[in-house]
Amino acid sequence: MSFAESPLEVPFGAAIDPEEFLRATMHWHFSPETGSAFWLERAGSLGFDPRTDVRTFDDLTLFPNFADELRQVRIEDVIPRGYGPCPDVVGVYESGGTTGEPKRVVLLRDWLDRLLHWSSAQLDAHGFPRDVNWLVVVPTGPHMVGDVIKAQAVSRGGLPFTVDLDPRWVKRLIADGKAAEAGMYADHIIEQVAYLLESQDIGVLMCTPPVLERIAARDDLARLVNKKVRAINWVGTQMDADTRFLYRSEIFPNAVLYSGYGSTMILGNASERVGLTDDDPCVYDPFSPYMSLSVVDPETGKPVPYGERGQVVMHHVSKAMFLPNNLERDLATRVEPPAGQVGDSVADIAPVAEFKSEKVIEGVY
Amino acid sequence: MGRGLISLEALGAHGTFRARNRMAVSDVSGTPVAELSLVPRLYVTRSMAAMHRAHTLPLAERIAALTRAARLFTEGVIGGLTFNEYERVVSRVSGVPIGVVREAAAAVADSAKQAGSTAFEARPAGAVGDWRDPLTREGRAVWTRRGDVFAVHAAGNHPGPHGLWLEALALGYRVAVRPSRREPFTPHRLITALRAAGFGEDHVALLPTDHDAADELLRRSDLGMVYGGDEVVRKYAGTNVLPQGPGRSKILITRDRDWRDHLDTIVGSIGDQGGVACINATAVFVEGDPAPVAEAIAERLADLPSLPPEDEKAVLPVQPAESARAIEAFVLGRAAGLRAWLGDEGLVEELGDGSAVLRPAVYQLDRPDAEQAGIEVPFPCVWVAPWSRANGIAPLRGTLVLTAITGDDELVDRLLDEPTISNVYHGDHPTYWIRPGVPHDGYLGEFLMRTKTVIRD
Repeated sequence: MSFAESPLEVPFGAAIDPEEFLRATMHWHFSPETGSAFWLERAGSLGFDPRTDVRTFDDLTLFPNFADELRQVRIEDVIPRGYGPCPDVVGVYESGGTTGEPKRVVLLRDWLDRLLHWSSAQLDAHGFPRDVNWLVVVPTGPHMVGDVIKAQAVSRGGLPFTVDLDPRWVKRLIADGKAAEAGMYADHIIEQVAYLLESQDIGVLMCTPPVLERIAARDDLARLVNKKVRAINWVGTQMDADTRFLYRSEIFPNAVLYSGYGSTMILGNASERVGLTDDDPCVYDPFSPYMSLSVVDPETGKPVPYGERGQVVMHHVSKAMFLPNNLERDLATRVEPPAGQVGDSVADIAPVAEFKSEKVIEGVY
Repeated sequence: MGRGLISLEALGAHGTFRARNRMAVSDVSGTPVAELSLVPRLYVTRSMAAMHRAHTLPLAERIAALTRAARLFTEGVIGGLTFNEYERVVSRVSGVPIGVVREAAAAVADSAKQAGSTAFEARPAGAVGDWRDPLTREGRAVWTRRGDVFAVHAAGNHPGPHGLWLEALALGYRVAVRPSRREPFTPHRLITALRAAGFGEDHVALLPTDHDAADELLRRSDLGMVYGGDEVVRKYAGTNVLPQGPGRSKILITRDRDWRDHLDTIVGSIGDQGGVACINATAVFVEGDPAPVAEAIAERLADLPSLPPEDEKAVLPVQPAESARAIEAFVLGRAAGLRAWLGDEGLVEELGDGSAVLRPAVYQLDRPDAEQAGIEVPFPCVWVAPWSRANGIAPLRGTLVLTAITGDDELVDRLLDEPTISNVYHGDHPTYWIRPGVPHDGYLGEFLMRTKTVIRD
C-alpha cells in the first residue's frame, strides 16, 4: 500500500486517528492555499489559530456558531480552494427552513462517495436488500436528502423513484391553522405513492413517520407494502417505541424497519444502532469522526449527563466542509457512544418548541 | 392498597395492549395506584379500521350480552379487582364519596341490563325496528343506524355517564371509548365485562390516548360523543359529534310555593352526588327574597362532615390539595363582593395526606342575570338569586335539568318550549332524579338513528 497520504483522504473504511484527522482538517481549511474564502475571512477574528490551537474535538467549542452566516454567504465562498478551479460539485442544498431563511451548503463528490460508502454499510448491517428499487418519499429540490438517497439507491444496484415533498409548504399550512389543506396535501402525496407501489417493483420504502402512518391506514397500500417492500427507512420526525413495535409485530412484520437522523448541517445522517430491542429508544450513532454530536444544556451550553435530555450540537469536519458548533433545533437524550466514536450518540429526538422566537412545527415532514 | 400498581391496558380491536408509554393514575393524596397504557395514533387508526370491518351481533345476542355484562361488572373479579375493590379505587382516585360511587356503579350495571329496552324508547311512534315487520308491506318507516362506529371521549367526574353509551351498543353500533385519564377504571371494567359477555374485541374497545391521538378516534368514527365545557360545545355543535356540555342545572321557586316545604329537595339537588354531577343544581332562583332561602340552604350544608372519600359517611368530594386550592381560588375570585352565606372563610379542608375536601359554598346574587349563576364547579356550590316574572325565562336558559317548584302551568309551558332547557321537573323533584328510559339530554337514539321508508312485496 502506498497511501502515505493525508488523513483527509484515507481509503473508505480504513482506520483513522480522529485527532490526527482533525488537525489535518484544520490545516486544510485554514491554510490560504486550500481553505475556503468563508473560513479564511473569519480566521483573523477568531482570536486563536485553528491550525495550532485545535488539537482535540473538545476544542471545536472554541468556534462561535457561524451557522447563521450560511443564510447569506455567497455559496462559492464556502468551497475550499484546495479543490481547484473545477470542484466536483454534486449540488447546493439548504436546511429545511423550519427556523426561517435557510442555511446553504455545498455537497462535493468526494464527501458524497465517502458518506454513501458508510451509510451503505449501515444498511447492510441492518439487513437492507441490495439490487432493489427504492421509493423515496422525502424532500427533493433544495433538500439534500432526496439527491443523496437517489444516489444511494443507484449505488446499491436499484432504481430510485421519488415523490416530492415540500416540508416548508406543509409547515406554512400548519402554522396558519389550515389543517384541512395540510390533510389535502398529505392525500396528494399518498396518491402518488400509491401509483408507484402499484406499478413498480419497490423493495425499499423511505418516508417520514406521518406518511408511513397514512400508508398503513390504507389497507390496499399496506398490502402492497407487505407484498413488495423488504425494508423501510423512516426519517424526518420521531416515532415512539409503541408505534415502532406495531409496525414490526403486526403491520409490516416482514420488513426491516430502520431510521436515520439527518441534518443538512452534518451533510448526512446518523444511523440507527444495530441490535436495539423493541423497548429501547431509537439510538443514533453518527459517522465518526466526520460527524460528531453533543447534547448540551441549552442554558449553559455544557453537556448533560448520559440519559438526560438536552439540545443537540453538531459538528461536521471533512475535507469538503467544516461546520463546527451548530446548535440544532432538536432535543435528544444523551447516550453513551460505541467504542472509538467521537462525541455522543443520541436518542428520542424531538423538536425544541421555541427556537429563536420562531415556532418550530411538526408536520408531514 | 397493600398491592402493586393496577395495570390498565388498552383494549384494542386486536386484543389487549400494554404500551411502553404508560401514565400513572394517582389517588387524591397523590399516591399512584395504577398505570394506564396510552396508545399511539397508529394503534387507534388500526383499531378503528378493524371496528369498521366488523359485523354487528344480532339484536337478541347484543341484549343477552349486555345483561350478562351487567352481572360480570358487579360480580366478577376483573383485572384482579372485586366490585368492592373497584368501587373503592374509583372513590380514592376521583374523590367521589364511596356511597355515590356505589350508587353510580350500580346504575351503570342497571343501564347495561336495561339497555335492550331503554335504547329503543327513542324510536319514533311511526317507525318499526326491522324491515321484516309485517307493517312494511304497506309502506312504513324503519328505524336505522346513521353509522356503524361510535366514538366516545368519556367523562371522569362520576361513573354514571358510562351508562349512556351502552345504548349505542344495544342499537348495534361498535363503540370505541377514550377514557378520562382521571378515572379510567369504570370503562376498563365495563368493556372487559362486555367482552367476556360476548361482544367481540372489534365491537367495543378502550383506547386511552394522549391529546395528540384523541382526535383520531373521532376522525375515524361515523359518529362521536364528547364530554367537556363550553369550548367543546362550540366546537362540535351541529357536527357528527354530540357534545355533552356543562349541566348548569337550576331550581326555580315561585311565590305561590313555600320553599320551606321543599328544602330537602333543594339541598339534595345541590349536594347529592357530592355535587360533582351535571345534574346537581348550580343556581336557585327565588321569586321574592332569596336571603332566607340561602340562609336555610347554608345551614343545612354547613354540617356536612369532611372525610376521606372512601369513608362510609363521606358526602363531600375530595381532590388533591393543590387542585382543590385552585378551585377555591377560582370560586372566591368570582364570588368577590357577593354575600356569602357559606364559604366566606374558605372552601378547602385539608385531610393531611395531600388531599383536601371541597366544602359547600352558598352565595347570594343581586340579579338573576348575574353571570355567576352559570358557574358550575365539582362540589356543592350554589348561587341563590332573586327572580321575578319581569325577568322572564332568560336567566333560566342553558340548563340540563330545571326543577320548577310552582303552581303556574303556563310558566311550565314556556320552560318546556325553551330549546336550551333539556329537562323540566315540575314540583318537588330533585334535579338529580334520573331513571333508565327517560332522556338525559334528549335520547341518545335521536342522534344515533334515523328513519327510512321501506315498502315491500
